[in-house]
Amino acid sequence: MRQVLADQYAEFAAARAGHLYRSACLLTAGDTHLAEDLVQETLGRLYIAWQRVSRVGNPAGYAQTVLTRTFLAHQRRRSSTERATDTFPDRAGTDQRDVPLRLTLLEALARLPAKDRAVVVLRYWEDRSIEETADALHASSAAVRTRCTRALGRLRELLGEDLGEYARY
Amino acid sequence: MPVHQHSDPFEDRLAAGLRDAGQTFDPDLHTLTTAGLVRGRRLRLRRRAAVVGGAASLALVGVGGALLLGGGPDADRSSVASTPSARTTAAPVSGEELISTLKKRLGYGKFSQESAHGTTDKPGPAYAQLVWDDGDGGSVVSINLEKVEPGSEGARQWTQCPDKAFTPYDSCKISRLHNGAVLRILQGYEYPDKREPTKVWTADLITPKGQHVTASEWNAEAEKGSPVTRSEPPLDSAGLKKLVTAPAWLTAVDAIPDAEVPSPTPEETTAPTTDIRKTLVDLLPSGLTPVSRGGEESGYGYVVVDDGKGSSLVEINVQPNMGDLLGDGIFEGAEQQADGTMLVTREDAGDKDVPGTVRWTVDTVRINGLRVAISAYNSGGPHDAPGRDKPALTLEQLKKIALSSAWGPSREDLYGQKNGQKNSDQG
Repeated sequence: MRQVLADQYAEFAAARAGHLYRSACLLTAGDTHLAEDLVQETLGRLYIAWQRVSRVGNPAGYAQTVLTRTFLAHQRRRSSTERATDTFPDRAGTDQRDVPLRLTLLEALARLPAKDRAVVVLRYWEDRSIEETADALHASSAAVRTRCTRALGRLRELLGEDLGEYARY
Repeated sequence: MPVHQHSDPFEDRLAAGLRDAGQTFDPDLHTLTTAGLVRGRRLRLRRRAAVVGGAASLALVGVGGALLLGGGPDADRSSVASTPSARTTAAPVSGEELISTLKKRLGYGKFSQESAHGTTDKPGPAYAQLVWDDGDGGSVVSINLEKVEPGSEGARQWTQCPDKAFTPYDSCKISRLHNGAVLRILQGYEYPDKREPTKVWTADLITPKGQHVTASEWNAEAEKGSPVTRSEPPLDSAGLKKLVTAPAWLTAVDAIPDAEVPSPTPEETTAPTTDIRKTLVDLLPSGLTPVSRGGEESGYGYVVVDDGKGSSLVEINVQPNMGDLLGDGIFEGAEQQADGTMLVTREDAGDKDVPGTVRWTVDTVRINGLRVAISAYNSGGPHDAPGRDKPALTLEQLKKIALSSAWGPSREDLYGQKNGQKNSDQG
């Protein structure tokens, strides 16, 4: 890699690694080890494509897309018995108000199928439109809408309508 | 970033909740960026070496002393998430010190064109290189230092002689030293097709701790593009062994930051070479007799077949996680198969400049990112003169092999009804 490009890449990686890591933590529902792994893989993939990536208008968005696809590819490789919903034990019966919001929200995210979680993260953490989300996931807008509606319904069920109140805890 | 208005207040609360939750995760930026860079470099090297004709490229990468590591069957499969951050217990060694050690070991003569990279600078392989004139003509002499994963395939590749079909050489000797280290001394050529009489002799020392020292010497003042100055490089095997086994190099290797050591990752592992060769032989059309077979790197195999009309080399690369190649020029105009696999065919003259060579290639990337690239030649080796007009296999036959489910799961295996996930994991 030419020096100018190498410097550009290093600057980009330093500036975006934190955000990518936080996205990855949400995608993995709090699995920080997997999140680190995904970010490193994403940065590695960006490195080899940097010449091309640096010419696109929005390298940060591109990086996020690579991260999401890397996450989904990882999920596909997992055995079908190892479902995301098994990550956390059922906490039914505990007083949800005593649990900090992060755990509550992450637990709820962990109960979503991986692709639904990716939709939620792209839509509400990355603030992408339905169309942009569909583009990142190689899916149709209609499919993203369906997933989104389903995921929101499930999160409502798990977190309660007044999720916002927990945010103050 | 645009802020989208959500029609449902719950969506706004969710966005706020995600922001709060996200902010609580505290990244170790140094580890992330360093390990990301190491992965990128490793991916790039893998990709270069993986171009069909891979064994030859691998040998060239090896001579340069660059990192090319892969997880062998015995390697630790732990995730790179556990890669330690840059730290080392040994004192750093500067480029000047490496040059000074090299001069001291060579002892006499004239030195020029010095360049080096110590263990203290930015990440990158540590090396020292200079032109040494011992009185009989100037020669490049270089030392390259790196850490490798002990017991991994990356370490083992330096303890075996290269496949002669791809890397012609005059002599290759492997010996085990008293401290358990393995020494390989290879007397070969800068250009595998010997189009110029530039020789490169290398000694690779691998210790049980994973220290890797390479000493290389040429019979010219530059590795490539410079006329030879003498018939052979200056140091004989004994001299090269003495140079590569100098204790100072091992001390310097210990000073290389640990984060420069890429760990094998589970997703980049490929089937063992023997399986790839065996599968390739199993998939050959009837009537083709394998006359020799080989392959020395992970994900690569070859077989030379003869249908009675002369030898034809057939080589194959099988690599996972290559989906992003689809954005590259080499897959431009690819045809999509019924199962979503993208396929391109190429007809060219090989990449070794041997007159009359005909190479037919079928390159595919499956929906799960698995790349299978197969080529057939009208000769028995990439550097051999053609012995027939066309390769022994047609493009149709190559396509059939490349698309075989023997290389990995099909779309049905991944998304089909049999695992019951069809509707829960697809958009």
